[in-house]
Amino acid sequence: MDRGVVLIGLNHRTAPVEVRECVAFPNGRLEPALVRLVELPGVAEGAILSTCNRVEVVACGSDPDAVAGRLPGFLAREHGLGDGAIAPHLYTHRGREAVRHLFRVAASLDSMVVGEPQILGQLKEQYALAAAAGAAGRVLHRCFHRAFSVAKRVRTETGIAAKAVSVGSAAAELARQIFDRFEDKTALLIGAGTMGELTARQLLAQGVGTLLVVNRTFERAIDLARDLGGMPVPFERLARSLPLADLVIGAASSDGFLLGAPAVVEAMRERRRRPMFLIDLAVPRAFEPQVNGLDGVYLYDVDDLEAVIADNRGARAAEAAKAEAIIEAEVDAFWRWFESLDVVPTIVALRERAEDIRQRELARHLGALGGLDARQREAVERLTSAIVNKLLHGPVSALKRHQADAGEAFYVEAARRLFRLGGDPDDGEEG
Amino acid sequence: MEQLLLVGAAFLYLAATLAAWTGIAVRVDAPPRLVSRFVWIGAGAHLVSIVLRSAVLGDIAVATFADALSFLAFLLVAVFLVVERRRSLAALGAVVSPLALGLTVAAILRYAREAVRPLPPVLDSAWFPVHVTLAFLGDAIFALAFSASLLYLFQERRLKARRRAGLLLHLPSLETLDRLNHACVVWGLVLLTLGIATGIVWAHEAWGRAYWASDPKLVFSLITWAIYVVLLQGRMVAGWRGRRAATLTIAGFAVILVSLVGVNVLAIGLHGKAF
Repeated sequence: MDRGVVLIGLNHRTAPVEVRECVAFPNGRLEPALVRLVELPGVAEGAILSTCNRVEVVACGSDPDAVAGRLPGFLAREHGLGDGAIAPHLYTHRGREAVRHLFRVAASLDSMVVGEPQILGQLKEQYALAAAAGAAGRVLHRCFHRAFSVAKRVRTETGIAAKAVSVGSAAAELARQIFDRFEDKTALLIGAGTMGELTARQLLAQGVGTLLVVNRTFERAIDLARDLGGMPVPFERLARSLPLADLVIGAASSDGFLLGAPAVVEAMRERRRRPMFLIDLAVPRAFEPQVNGLDGVYLYDVDDLEAVIADNRGARAAEAAKAEAIIEAEVDAFWRWFESLDVVPTIVALRERAEDIRQRELARHLGALGGLDARQREAVERLTSAIVNKLLHGPVSALKRHQADAGEAFYVEAARRLFRLGGDPDDGEEG
Repeated sequence: MEQLLLVGAAFLYLAATLAAWTGIAVRVDAPPRLVSRFVWIGAGAHLVSIVLRSAVLGDIAVATFADALSFLAFLLVAVFLVVERRRSLAALGAVVSPLALGLTVAAILRYAREAVRPLPPVLDSAWFPVHVTLAFLGDAIFALAFSASLLYLFQERRLKARRRAGLLLHLPSLETLDRLNHACVVWGLVLLTLGIATGIVWAHEAWGRAYWASDPKLVFSLITWAIYVVLLQGRMVAGWRGRRAATLTIAGFAVILVSLVGVNVLAIGLHGKAF
């Protein structure tokens, strides 16, 4: 293998957000960067993936080591950084590994929230940019298209995307176990922190009809209520509004419990024991744990929600194994195609095929020519060889001429198809 | 032939049971759809069996204990299919299907030991099919309420247990089950009331006054009726719901089962002896 695919990058696991935000490519900066990427010596094709969780550069070239050596510098220079600033966070994948990584990213197996659907859309957009800029060529076109279809297979053939994996979505999933419909339900958000806000958003996404927002600083409650489309309630009126709430998100800490058992008992009496779901996101906890013992009250704290998430992750592990198997098979298929693109074996195969035809035709027709003497026979041999060689000269020299440049993959594939040399796993699938 | 169809129905209820349990344990779309499909086919076979049997008897086949069990099982799955069609409650099949399976198997075993008996001439009236249909339909609806209540208690326990429970099961929400319980209790009570009323009118026509007033079946029915009236009253006035409603529903259904099995197996009273 004297050519290959290389992928370098960093993601949420290898780099903190301070580093990721430094190397991200905002809108409008991707296209010029793509042009500069394929201008790098030795880089025939390239594409860049940049999301809030990852920045990755994938490139093809005749000398993978050289390409792999240039990409980190490229990424650093694009953002005016020294090489050393990002080097410790970078991973490098070559060949099959690079393809597998790209497939896993597309299938959302490498995501922070495994199975989340946004990554595929982002990948498609950024591939479209690379294609439009002329940076993606024959190999990357195919590679990305395969990645998209792998993602689709993983989505439809495994349950990877079916379960909740954030605190907010776990709370929403639990709420669905308790309540049937949400339009007639009221949620009460206590506190103005991010976790509480995200959870409230998840509940609103379920269709919760009314949202009340309570905060010690009333102005903050007003702001947040406006953002979320809820109603602000003064902190002093918390006890009064509690009976209205079917779902309560506790996201504010205090000395002692914000809501003790007596308050909840009183609220339950007032709401005629309609079920109440309390979500305690605060540390230290906002709700007295004993209230879970009350009839019709369901209290979950952060650790309980984490347990739900862990359960879902467990269920996901089995699905992920299925997904990895799909990806492995697709990487194999892609790699068979990719290896067939090599120039030297293609030329060898081409010559062998021509020689094979020549020999067969000779054997067939020598009989008809009658008794040739050795000299005549040699002349026929020379004649046929000359024809074959002259015919092959064009294609072979074109292959050699384009070896190691952007046209290589195109010519190799064309030759393989025109002369039926095999090696394409999807013969006939693509024009 | 009727027996064979009944055995076929029993196997389909078994399949539905397994599908419903699988559907609760793992999140896949196929089992819940299979539940209603199995029950549909089973109920079809079951209906044909009852029709054939009724044709032989020349009247609706509920007079013997075996026929009664079979009829009740059929009405239960029929009511389940109606509810399941309107809202996706395949998980309810996890209780309904084994219940129907148990009743059907009991009917099959019982058939072997029963002779076909025509209705005594004194009881042969138009009231007979009306009374038994109303009464058994009421029982079937209470059986559905019982199934919803059982699932409710199970789901509630899991939600209360939080971390310790493991939360990978796929059950209807508490609210869904509680609403279903309420609707079933209302309808069951209406039918039970009509069943008792038609029974009294019919008995009065057949035997005259008072002879039937201490019939154990009637006594049990009135106990059942009282339990569900109390439950309904509590729900409307005192806001009883959830666990309390589920527990009372189960208690009411236990009385129904005792009356069904006790009266017929021990052959006591008019419902036990006459048929």
